[in-house]
Amino acid sequence: MKQLLTGILSLALVFSLAACSGGGGSATPAPNGGGSGNEAASTELNIYMWQQYISDQLISDFEAANNCKVNLSYMSDNADAITRLTAGGGQEYDLIMTCDAYMESLVAGDYVQKLNLDNIPNAGANINEAYWTAKDYCIPYLMNYIYVVYNTETCPIDITCYNDLLDPALKGQISTIDGARNLFPIALIALGYDPNSTEESEIAAAYEWLVKFNENVVAYGNAEQNLTNGTASVALTFDGNASWAMTEMGENNPLVVAPFTSDAVQLGFDLYVIPKGAAHVDLAEKFLNYICDPQVMAANLEEYPYSCPNDAAVAAASEAYRSDPARDFSYKENVFFQEDVGDALVIYNDYYQKLKVGE
Amino acid sequence: MKKPIDDASSLQAINRRRDVRRKTLPALAQAGPVSVWMILFVTIPMLFIIYISFMSRGVFGDVVYEFSLESYQTLLDTTYFKVILKSLQVAVFTTVLCLGLGYPFAYYIARKPPEVASKLIMLIMIPFWTNSLMRLNSWLLLFQTSGPINTFLQWSGITDHPITFIYTDALVVLGMITNMLPFAVLPLYSTIEKLQKSLLEASSDLGATPVQTFLKVTLPLTFPGIFSAIILVFIPSLGIYTVSDVLGGGKVLYIGNIIKNQFGSIRNWPLGAALSVLLLVITGLLIFIYTRFAKLEDMEVV
Repeated sequence: MKQLLTGILSLALVFSLAACSGGGGSATPAPNGGGSGNEAASTELNIYMWQQYISDQLISDFEAANNCKVNLSYMSDNADAITRLTAGGGQEYDLIMTCDAYMESLVAGDYVQKLNLDNIPNAGANINEAYWTAKDYCIPYLMNYIYVVYNTETCPIDITCYNDLLDPALKGQISTIDGARNLFPIALIALGYDPNSTEESEIAAAYEWLVKFNENVVAYGNAEQNLTNGTASVALTFDGNASWAMTEMGENNPLVVAPFTSDAVQLGFDLYVIPKGAAHVDLAEKFLNYICDPQVMAANLEEYPYSCPNDAAVAAASEAYRSDPARDFSYKENVFFQEDVGDALVIYNDYYQKLKVGE
Repeated sequence: MKKPIDDASSLQAINRRRDVRRKTLPALAQAGPVSVWMILFVTIPMLFIIYISFMSRGVFGDVVYEFSLESYQTLLDTTYFKVILKSLQVAVFTTVLCLGLGYPFAYYIARKPPEVASKLIMLIMIPFWTNSLMRLNSWLLLFQTSGPINTFLQWSGITDHPITFIYTDALVVLGMITNMLPFAVLPLYSTIEKLQKSLLEASSDLGATPVQTFLKVTLPLTFPGIFSAIILVFIPSLGIYTVSDVLGGGKVLYIGNIIKNQFGSIRNWPLGAALSVLLLVITGLLIFIYTRFAKLEDMEVV
């Protein structure tokens, strides 16, 4: 009996510990690809990116075409990728996904390699220049609008600007994305400030705005589930997630993109960089060239229906993708980008912390 | 030919060698591996956490190795005090409920014959065969606005509009209790099982009512189990963040979540480290109080 109990209790401990460590999410770095000479083509590619964000078929096709093994490791937060790049360990990966907001610092800090775009001809041919920041250092992959969608059947009001989100009628109705640099710009725009403000007084005012907004928030994250299961009637989310929720709602989809009249929405890019000291640059360049191929990317978009900066791929994509209601809104040009805010990031984070803890 | 042992020093040397063989080697073999493990994976990381809690943070979220008390000064902010208070409240609440639910159940099992008892104990463990995140997400599915529980409540006319259960403190506590219950039941069971029936019989022979027997005999004799149940439930409940992360929807924050956020999205490692140190101090204090009241060997797990 005692032994049984000991066994059971230790199993329980192990299980609960395993669950606790789940959040860490760091994968074991793969060792250097066999230590072969520089001339020989690499047979291994280590990519660090978001989970559920690239087609398995695309990966296995690439593996077959190049006779190599692609190791995908996943991040749980944008900050993870930055840690990988800046705190050392970047050389364990050949490609790291990050976003446009960090590019300036990453280039300035000399953490990423300059790309040889001659080896990536598909990028130059297909990617829309307007969506390509830090062109020599990164290849944009997919992009996301952060906008408001709502359920026309359950949402009590019509939403045409950010200030509508403070309406007391929406109490406990909003499911929103998380993160200081996603939430504060919205408040800053609602208040008529620069979305990338570095003025503490403006950020403080945005904090006050968000405190009111927070009263209407039911949850941070999981917007698509919360919309489809009825927990939330409004969501501040990415267009890709909205697309998923609208598809899930089926025939009589009640979800619409809020018809904003003047407020700008955030547009962000997820992009690939090659970290300094990457071991398999040749294969990384081949991979980047491969995903910039219009047909390859078009197939990927079927599975992950996000907005895409690759114009040729969008043109080659299916009718269903191009007529997606999640991308059917009129203010696509009225966007702002997240910019590097330098030292002010600390101010943002401190106010964000205060917001989340709730005073 | 055997050399006679005549002088004292060689006798001492032999004794020393024998001591090494008889005492040190077995001790090393028994405690060595676990000591190395604990030093490598507990002591050193803990010292490192204490070390970086005294460092400064860089703008980019990196740790700048310059001495600073900034993190500890931040801790004095009432914001954190409130979070700690709230976490303590929830941990106490979870512990009390786990004891309240676990004690009668452990008592019930302990009174069954061993074969039945082991099956019942197994029942408690069955949910733990799945990953805890899976279990937490299934709670979400059950309680969500269009989920079965809300559907039933509306169908049966108890409520006319769906109730928001998910992302509330109540659901987080429910999740905590289900996660922690086995840690209360198992130590309680093992002490109650050892309780001699003859003592209870003697008590009732001497005229005690069942309530008196319970309060004067059963309860004091099972104190060690109660104590270890408290420690085993309370300490993990104080630091756990997965439950409030999943069931709280990022709105319900306890100290564990705050620490996790400092190391994750907010990227203020020194503050995260200082909060971890604070958690260590609180836990250490509790263990200290515990050892004052109960002998350590009483902390009976099995």
